[in-house]
Amino acid sequence: MEHFIETIGRNMFAIFGVLALVGALLMIGARSAIHSVLGFLFAMLNIAGCFLALEAEFLGVAQILVYAGGIVVLFLFVVMLVEMSKKHEGEVFQLQSRYAVLAVAGGVALFLGVFRKAIFGAPSPEALVLRPELAKGLDVAHQNAQAVSRGLFADYLLPFEILSVILLVALVGAVVLAKTERV
Amino acid sequence: MPTPTLTQSIVITFIQCLMVVIFVFVVVPLTVFAERKVLGHLQQRLGSTRVASGHVGFSGWMNRRMWKMGKVPVVSYWRGIPGLVGDVLKLILKEDVIPAKADKFVFFLAPSISMVAAIVVFAAISFVPGTFFTFPTWFPYLGGLPVSGGISDINVGLLWILGVATVGVYGIVLAGWSSNSKYPLLGGLRSAAQMVSYEVPLTLSLLAPVVLSASLNFSEMATRMAVGMPVWALIPQVIGFLLYLTCGFAETNRLPFDMPEAENELVAGFHTEYSGMKFGLFYLAEYINMTVVSALASAFFLGGPWLLPFGLQGLLNPYLPGFLSWFAAPHAIFFVAKIVFLLFTYIWVRGTIPRYRYDQIMAVGWKYLIPLALVNLLLAAAIRCFVV
Repeated sequence: MEHFIETIGRNMFAIFGVLALVGALLMIGARSAIHSVLGFLFAMLNIAGCFLALEAEFLGVAQILVYAGGIVVLFLFVVMLVEMSKKHEGEVFQLQSRYAVLAVAGGVALFLGVFRKAIFGAPSPEALVLRPELAKGLDVAHQNAQAVSRGLFADYLLPFEILSVILLVALVGAVVLAKTERV
Repeated sequence: MPTPTLTQSIVITFIQCLMVVIFVFVVVPLTVFAERKVLGHLQQRLGSTRVASGHVGFSGWMNRRMWKMGKVPVVSYWRGIPGLVGDVLKLILKEDVIPAKADKFVFFLAPSISMVAAIVVFAAISFVPGTFFTFPTWFPYLGGLPVSGGISDINVGLLWILGVATVGVYGIVLAGWSSNSKYPLLGGLRSAAQMVSYEVPLTLSLLAPVVLSASLNFSEMATRMAVGMPVWALIPQVIGFLLYLTCGFAETNRLPFDMPEAENELVAGFHTEYSGMKFGLFYLAEYINMTVVSALASAFFLGGPWLLPFGLQGLLNPYLPGFLSWFAAPHAIFFVAKIVFLLFTYIWVRGTIPRYRYDQIMAVGWKYLIPLALVNLLLAAAIRCFVV
């Protein structure tokens, strides 16, 4: 019994990963757009589970907050409001499938290049920390919100703020576009 | 104190989950019962405060005495309990109708998402900091092991609660969409817009306790907000409490913000097409969400498992005489009492304040509550910076 539970506990990441893949497949394969969004939601929740299995609690919960709670709701909104007829939906999806395959192949090649070392290389002897002195005095395993915030607000403050300015620009741009359309 | 093995800790967690579920399923029906009675008294509805099972037992004897004395017996706490029994029986026994052109899978999924999202939140809520109770040594298998006050008091507990609570929106939106009918769709869209916009001031008002207590862990926040605060920290907490409560009312779709099921405009909103226990799950989820909002409010603003609200406990503790030390210690019973009081406030407000119009709700949320929440956050940051 003990052994069995321990094995499950050690393989939580793999379980959630497989479930996330199942969700992604459901998203691609579903006939109706709402079912696709549901598959996407399932995948996102399982990716949050992956983070939790790696003891990155902050990232896992942020995944739920941002993706499951925010972005997928907006997707659902858009899909519900722009309801397409079955035929039109099929046409749009078929039109896109050729490019989608190309894009996926390109993405796979790119990510394999990035993750080649992570997947096939030897495991690193110690945890990868960008600036070890930032984690000084922190029990990273139990205070990962603090650890992430030190990275964001001490080491990478400028890029972080620039990112938020980009979001602001997108927001203003959206308002401008919507306004001109109405006038 | 012995450390539990892996299997033992899983069994303990299971027991804790069971305790939470029992707590929920005791509190929710009692809240429904209390709602009928309190509303009956507030709005002078006769049935729910008078109806009783008959003239048997002690209360029946009391009632007969009061009738004989020429008074209407409304004092009995259990008057109206047949109404509760009727409610539950109706939910369980009613025929489960699925509309002909509904999306069956999503129609089935929506109430379960609502219910699961509502109840999973309790994973991060701890009723007492530290140990809740210890199993006696004669207990089989688990003897001498401690049971902590929360199922999983994780480092980012508050974010977990907020994150999982947002997943509850899906239940309402999907229910509205899958019913394949106009009123539910409108109700679902309305409530999604309302919940997404009120999430902003809700989160901002909860950030004041986060800033003041410098933690995201539920029990640590509750501890510091109850016994580790200076006098000045009371100010943002009072404003924050009122803000949080307002947004909490909107988040749980209760009057005066019950847009998703505004009866006079939308029949019953997103659950128009639902019947039987599927509707029952929405009903349960609403009351569980009310309990969660009350639990957060009582933990961060009303002192949690301590007695006095707004950090007064920490100020008064040194002056308490010794024989009152029981009141200075944290007890789960205080926590539950505060939750019950806030649930009563929910019902009280429902009986007192009429419903807002939809545009008024949005205007209040975006134009008044968010700026006020930002000012409150600034105040908390100033206190954190200069006083603490």
